[in-house]
Amino acid sequence: MASYESYSIMTGSGRNAHCLGVRVPPEWPFQSVLIANRGEIALRIVRTVQRLGLRAVVVHHAVDANAPAVRHADLAVEIHGATPVAAYLDGPQIIETALAAGAGAVHPGYGFLSENAGFARACLDAGLIFVGPTPEVIEQMGDKVTARSFVAHAGFPVAPSAIEDDDPATFVERARHVGAPLLIKPAAGGGGKGMRIVRDLAALASEIERARSEGQRYFGDGRLYAERFVENPRHIEVQVLGDAHGNVVHLHERECSVQRRFQKIVEETPSPALTPELRRDICTVAAGIARNAGYSGAGTVEFVFGGGTFYFLEMNTRLQVEHPVTEVVFGIDLVEQQLRVAAGEPLGFSQDELQPRGHAIELRIYAEDAASGYLPTTGTILTLQEPNGPGVRVDSGISSGQDVTAAFDPMLAKLIVHAPTRDDAIALGRRSLHDYVLLGCKTNIDFLRRLLAHPAFAEGEIHTGFLDAHPEVAAEPAIESALLHKLLAVAALTSRPLRDAADAVPALHAAIGAWRN
Amino acid sequence: MAHAFRLMGVDHELWLSRSGGVYQVHVGDISVAATLVPRGEHAHELTVRDVAERVVIARHGDDVHVHLDGETYLLRYSHSLERFAGQTADEDEAVARAPMPGAVIAVSVEPGATVRRGQALLLIESMKMETTIVAPCDGTVQAVHVAIGQTFDRDALLVTLERLKEAP
Amino acid sequence: MKRIDSALDTRSAEFRANRQHNLALAQALRDQQAAVRYERPERDKERLARQNKLFVRDRLQRLLDPGTPFLELSTLAANMDYEGEVPGAGIVTGIGIVSGREVMVHASDASVKGGAWYPLSVKKIVRATDIAVENRLPMVHLCDSAGGFLPLQAELFADRHYGGRIFRNQAILSKMGVPQVAVVLGHCTAGGAYVPALSDYSVIVRGNGAIFLGGPPLVKAATGEEVSADDLGGCDLHTRISGTADYPASNEFEAFAIARDVVAQWKRPVKAEVEWQEPEPPFYDPSELYGIVPRDIKVQFDMREVIARMVDGSRFHEYQPAYATTLVCGFAHLWGYKVGILANNGVLFNESAQKGSHFIQLCNQNRTPLVFLQNITGFMVGRDYERRGITKDGAKMIMAVAGSEVPKFTVICNGSFGAGNYGMSGRAFDPRLLFMWPQSQISVMGAEQAANVLADVKLRQLARTGAQLSPEEISAIRDPVVKDYRRQSSALYSTSRLWDDGILDPVDTRNALGIAISAALNAPIAAPSYGVFRV
Repeated sequence: MASYESYSIMTGSGRNAHCLGVRVPPEWPFQSVLIANRGEIALRIVRTVQRLGLRAVVVHHAVDANAPAVRHADLAVEIHGATPVAAYLDGPQIIETALAAGAGAVHPGYGFLSENAGFARACLDAGLIFVGPTPEVIEQMGDKVTARSFVAHAGFPVAPSAIEDDDPATFVERARHVGAPLLIKPAAGGGGKGMRIVRDLAALASEIERARSEGQRYFGDGRLYAERFVENPRHIEVQVLGDAHGNVVHLHERECSVQRRFQKIVEETPSPALTPELRRDICTVAAGIARNAGYSGAGTVEFVFGGGTFYFLEMNTRLQVEHPVTEVVFGIDLVEQQLRVAAGEPLGFSQDELQPRGHAIELRIYAEDAASGYLPTTGTILTLQEPNGPGVRVDSGISSGQDVTAAFDPMLAKLIVHAPTRDDAIALGRRSLHDYVLLGCKTNIDFLRRLLAHPAFAEGEIHTGFLDAHPEVAAEPAIESALLHKLLAVAALTSRPLRDAADAVPALHAAIGAWRN
Repeated sequence: MAHAFRLMGVDHELWLSRSGGVYQVHVGDISVAATLVPRGEHAHELTVRDVAERVVIARHGDDVHVHLDGETYLLRYSHSLERFAGQTADEDEAVARAPMPGAVIAVSVEPGATVRRGQALLLIESMKMETTIVAPCDGTVQAVHVAIGQTFDRDALLVTLERLKEAP
Repeated sequence: MKRIDSALDTRSAEFRANRQHNLALAQALRDQQAAVRYERPERDKERLARQNKLFVRDRLQRLLDPGTPFLELSTLAANMDYEGEVPGAGIVTGIGIVSGREVMVHASDASVKGGAWYPLSVKKIVRATDIAVENRLPMVHLCDSAGGFLPLQAELFADRHYGGRIFRNQAILSKMGVPQVAVVLGHCTAGGAYVPALSDYSVIVRGNGAIFLGGPPLVKAATGEEVSADDLGGCDLHTRISGTADYPASNEFEAFAIARDVVAQWKRPVKAEVEWQEPEPPFYDPSELYGIVPRDIKVQFDMREVIARMVDGSRFHEYQPAYATTLVCGFAHLWGYKVGILANNGVLFNESAQKGSHFIQLCNQNRTPLVFLQNITGFMVGRDYERRGITKDGAKMIMAVAGSEVPKFTVICNGSFGAGNYGMSGRAFDPRLLFMWPQSQISVMGAEQAANVLADVKLRQLARTGAQLSPEEISAIRDPVVKDYRRQSSALYSTSRLWDDGILDPVDTRNALGIAISAALNAPIAAPSYGVFRV
């Protein structure tokens, strides 16, 4: 099994010049960055900030006081909120903290305020540099409907659809024109709520009525739009990077098709579904969209791919959770690139200079019980041994002794493996998961091993319905008796009540054993 | 009478005996000799049926977390006094427990309130879903153990009710 | 100690014939014990199930530590009494391990006549409590009895060692600081109510368990009061209000979990010290015992061959090997414990009795437990022996046995006739435990001898009337006498009446003695002192 020799963009060693540890010049508009986030991404950003010779300031709620990011930061400031999540969503408090700490820039990470145009604007108004695109771009791309319409007008492919708002009277008819199968979505919705798949057009009218009443109930808004549904779609996205000088490059695609509850679990690059031609097309379209929008900073254009065609789904105007797979195949630190762009530097490379190498897979480690419907789990991390070695990278926001609670999203860490081929990467992933020890809180590590071992995954036959189509992946395998005896032996030998009871029996009787006259 | 550990929802009775310096684990009709040697930092060497392998073990109260051959398992000690305890004579209390970890969004009742079976007690949020916790029986609210914004683990005690006695 | 040199020819016809015979007897013993322990009429099993009660064997399994031995006593009690309808006398007793502690278990078998106490049931329980007192063994009582069997009350109530003795022994145990726990799984009525009341700890099962001096029918007859068993003496009444019982349990499983936890609280005993070394199995195969014991009780065999198949490493230090060779005396280790063994290789002569007395004193002096392996037809009779004082010598041996302070254990390996039984520590001389082998016989004299004597009487009567009897007629008179005599001297008869603590398969003797010695060491060993030896 082949792998790459060890290199780490975190410490700055390696082949690609773009990841050499270069400290930023003193003329930079900021020398100190406030990271408005938590967990693994906060730590990951702190590392790059410090590597570049900048000062890392981290805000945190009290429950995160012992988090790795907080311990590594140059300065950690506690923020407050009615709930822990509320604290990280409190824009004014965060800006106030940044100013008081002397930070010149704010990096929002992902989630929380990262796509909040109002927050971006407030930062700028306060004289802080927001590490991300302009508030206008965030606004335009943040609303699904306006983003879609912008992309369509620019001539890029979008899924056939019908938007009710355009002409409510003809909505049902236009929806019928979209053709089956189609997806009816609430315009005001999100998170997969209220969406219905219609396969039989005869039921269209009644499904629309039901969707409307659900939209009313969940979001207080019954307006809808209908979109062509791609059967067994594959989720393919393209990483783009633009500077403030109009340069935009793409860093190829990532496939994120393995999902549950519309949340990604496994991402990889390159996508096993794309031919070189399709890759070229989809990346060109993504870069084109970004260029047209005047995009600066790191962003991701998401597409739905199926039956040989792709349609624009949405654009995320921030760093994605799965950015590491792109980083390792290109040897580029995307957070560093974000900071450089935010500081006004032009991109340091052209499209032709970007040559990816090998195959990378990211596996998200969640605190959840896959076998029982992916219910989130809690517990104290009693011991933690993360895998390491050539081609293995772990972005982790947890440490031994930490409590995993229901306060936040259950993602604990990301395991990224990089190897010359997809098969090598899968093998490296399986071995790394085998060596990953996290005890005290149930995780999906065993589930991920079963997933990587599944023949359909090895064939690259993945799509967003993969886990529903293969329920055996989530199911815990039965424990056969030899294994059961080993586990019971371990439990027995480490438990005082059993040891004491065994030691209490007098030697004679223990030696005679279960004898009867 | 045997001890038991619960593994994946099933109680397994077992017994440990010692003869000379060697421990034997008895499960049903099968007995195996087993040794466990610490190798530092939660790691151990387990030898069962003469095969030695590496195992990582972490204990927390009655919970034994095990990492063996790349898989993780949780065994929970079940004391026979708990396993065989029948209903307590005091059936007057009824409780509402959390079906999954989450946070409290809204509380609909106060101590002293009379509730009917199925009536909403509080609203929780978990995995971006909202779930209503309802009264398991007719009764009076004795105590609400959580507040808005508070997070809790699975099976946490949320509300205690005093069961309403049926009219004779 | 040197290993015994076995002279046994395991390929001889004699050996093979003996072996076949004794294996069959051992198998018959196992079959009979299995039937007594487990076979019950369907309706009795169904009744237990309806009452939500566990069968006594399942109760024992829940009580005792798994993977430990249980030495059951007098399994075949009452096998020749009450027309065989009361297997085991409806009681199970034995020495077992609960939460790591040696205990004497006394359990009612409610599947036999509702657990009613027959005279032999009372005798079996008294015997169990006697063993507990002598050996300071804690006790666990599993109570589930309908009470005394009224039709036979004259044989179980009034006398010194009848029913009251159980409660007297319980009180003495408590006085000695030896704990008891009673698990009330059914009714404890009248006398039976004292079992939990006199136990230091008691557990009672809700619903089935009840304790009362008079049950509902008796109360109604006596005062007209109508009350249910549960209200009169059930779990909640006694654990919450009267304080007669200590721990309520919702079901039998919980009751046993509690009882085990109670036993786990008891102070660990300080055992009497005797010489001990690491145990070792016998060098010779114990199953060869089947080939050693003869089919005919009159045939002699060498007890050393028996000893060689019982003791550690088959090693034996023989005392006075050249003198009084009809009594083999010597030291050995059994399951590690040093023991002094006395074993019969023929009748007891003057010298044998003297050697025995001397050896018993030696063992008392160096605190060595005694094991008696009996195969004795009696003391030598005759003018010459009387002149030399064989009666005196027999008395000396009895004096030594009776005055002995070290624990004694007796196994009747073959014959046990007459005063030889006494000198070799028979039942009356308080061996801590006494066992028989399947083919053993025990009576005042051998069956042939006795038959001759009894038949002679009859024949002389007939001769006085002038009748001349043919050989067949003589047989017709003799044979029934012999047959009846044999029956009454059989091991099964002895064990039915609890003249012994059980019949052992010979190969089980080693384990039984090991467990017995271990149990006996719970009591202290006093310094020896004897009466007057008629020298």
